[in-house]
Amino acid sequence: MNALRNRTARPGAQRHPDDPCPPPTTGRPGSTKTRLVRLGWSLVLWLCLFAFGASAEPAGDAGDEQLAEAAADRHACLRCHAMSSLAYRDPETSEIIDLSIDRDGLAHSVHGELACIDCHRRSYRRYPHPDRPAPGDMDCIGCHEGDDQNLSRGWVDIDAEFKRSVHAVSDSPKAAGFSCHSCHDPHRFRPAAVGEPLAQIVRNHNGVCLSCHKRLVSPSSTSHDWLPNRDAHWTSVRCVDCHTPVADFANHEILPAEKSEKNCVSCHSADPQLLARLYHFQSEEDIARRGLLAKAVFNEAYVVGMSKSPALDRLSLAIMGLMVLLLAAHGVGRYLARRANRRA
Amino acid sequence: MTSLYLYPVWLRLWHWVNALLFLTLIASGVSMHYAGADWLMPFATARVVHNTAGILLTIGWIGFVVANARSENARHYRVRFRTLIGDLIAQTRYYMIGIFRLEPHPFHVTEAMKFNTLQQLSYLGVMYGLMPILLLSGWAFLYSVYLPETLFGLGSVWVVAMTHVVVSYLLALFLLVHIYIITTGETVFSNLRAMITGWHRESDPTRTETTAPTPRETP
Repeated sequence: MNALRNRTARPGAQRHPDDPCPPPTTGRPGSTKTRLVRLGWSLVLWLCLFAFGASAEPAGDAGDEQLAEAAADRHACLRCHAMSSLAYRDPETSEIIDLSIDRDGLAHSVHGELACIDCHRRSYRRYPHPDRPAPGDMDCIGCHEGDDQNLSRGWVDIDAEFKRSVHAVSDSPKAAGFSCHSCHDPHRFRPAAVGEPLAQIVRNHNGVCLSCHKRLVSPSSTSHDWLPNRDAHWTSVRCVDCHTPVADFANHEILPAEKSEKNCVSCHSADPQLLARLYHFQSEEDIARRGLLAKAVFNEAYVVGMSKSPALDRLSLAIMGLMVLLLAAHGVGRYLARRANRRA
Repeated sequence: MTSLYLYPVWLRLWHWVNALLFLTLIASGVSMHYAGADWLMPFATARVVHNTAGILLTIGWIGFVVANARSENARHYRVRFRTLIGDLIAQTRYYMIGIFRLEPHPFHVTEAMKFNTLQQLSYLGVMYGLMPILLLSGWAFLYSVYLPETLFGLGSVWVVAMTHVVVSYLLALFLLVHIYIITTGETVFSNLRAMITGWHRESDPTRTETTAPTPRETP
């Protein structure tokens, strides 16, 4: 068996792999037979590959084609819109309307693989574009209504929450025309994922609010002055954590300032709902980042105040203080008793 | 003078390591609980110190339970139910009244039993009651993501947090009393010395001074 293998292997082994010439035919019956068998197998292999390839190709082609079409569409639009200076002055309000789109931001966004005209429908294919979108254009719910499975809240709930939010019900002219896009820039939006540093998530989240409410964080601002460690809160708590109803996850029901959470205890101890949510998130992130065992040592999911209950602390410290006094008194009593005994 | 070898090496080693870890955990725990004051450990340091000491304390506790179950030291933890009430009353009366009248200690330490009833019950409660709750709640804190969302209708992390903090206050209280009570031996430092050398020494007025029994390892 070994001898046969050696003999059949030899012609191939002697040949340089790049040698285009076919191996010299020998008159030996063994090698011809082997070559025939090999040829048969390669034929089978090629047939299989061809068959699979043929069956796989149409689907792959369609998907690729769609992606390629979308990419071509984006490319066409971005030829102008990727220019950072693309803007015009609104003749009515005299405001400068920025029309530029950050190419990288779009590529990393959740909509990065879509064609522009998937959202900007109507006649955006042509230039000049229409001066305002048609109703139904750029409608989040229109596209997203069906894909609720990956969300903790359905799009319909989000829509309902938004309609109750201060942004939707306010009479202020500044809130006029408020829509999803006012906060979620569809060209940049990307949901937060477990594993991202919490501080980064908080920064991104709050960045959305601060893009309009800039004045709040100016050095001279007295806003949120009542809040102890205001700046620490701002870097580690999302605005929506206090400015939405605490009890449910109604993240899009932004409350007016006077109705927002001002009760420290909602987070710090008694009603643990909010804090537990933050703690869980941080814990998951710890495990994802460090692994199960290292988490035990480097656990970062401490939330100051999680174990805080002012009443309990006061009571415990009082009991301990009392105990120290009692023990001290006991000790003094013993000392006096001994001294009296020595004297007697 | 009678001398009893009551504290074998493993027990003393465990005791002092445990004591050191306890103090470390109190310092780091307080630093996190009351975070912000200048005289406390920085939060980030306290966090790692607390976790590490907690893990070591768990290992130490398991070691103690195993060693105690396998050695003769376990006999000191067997409650004498028959005389329990009487012993408790006598012991409490001694600490509240007798001790000031310089009465003799109602409990006599022997090789068969080194704990008086009060001591025994509190050590049992601490080592087999509070300690496991403290350790479990500490670990539950670390791996709270694997807990159900709520326990008894309350947020589970809050339940864990409150359990941990209440038990740690109770254990701190135990530590206070423990440190004081050890001074009530024959002299202020005789009990402390026993936990360092392993030998319990006691002058025996009823007998003439006997030589110490041959140092026998009484586990």
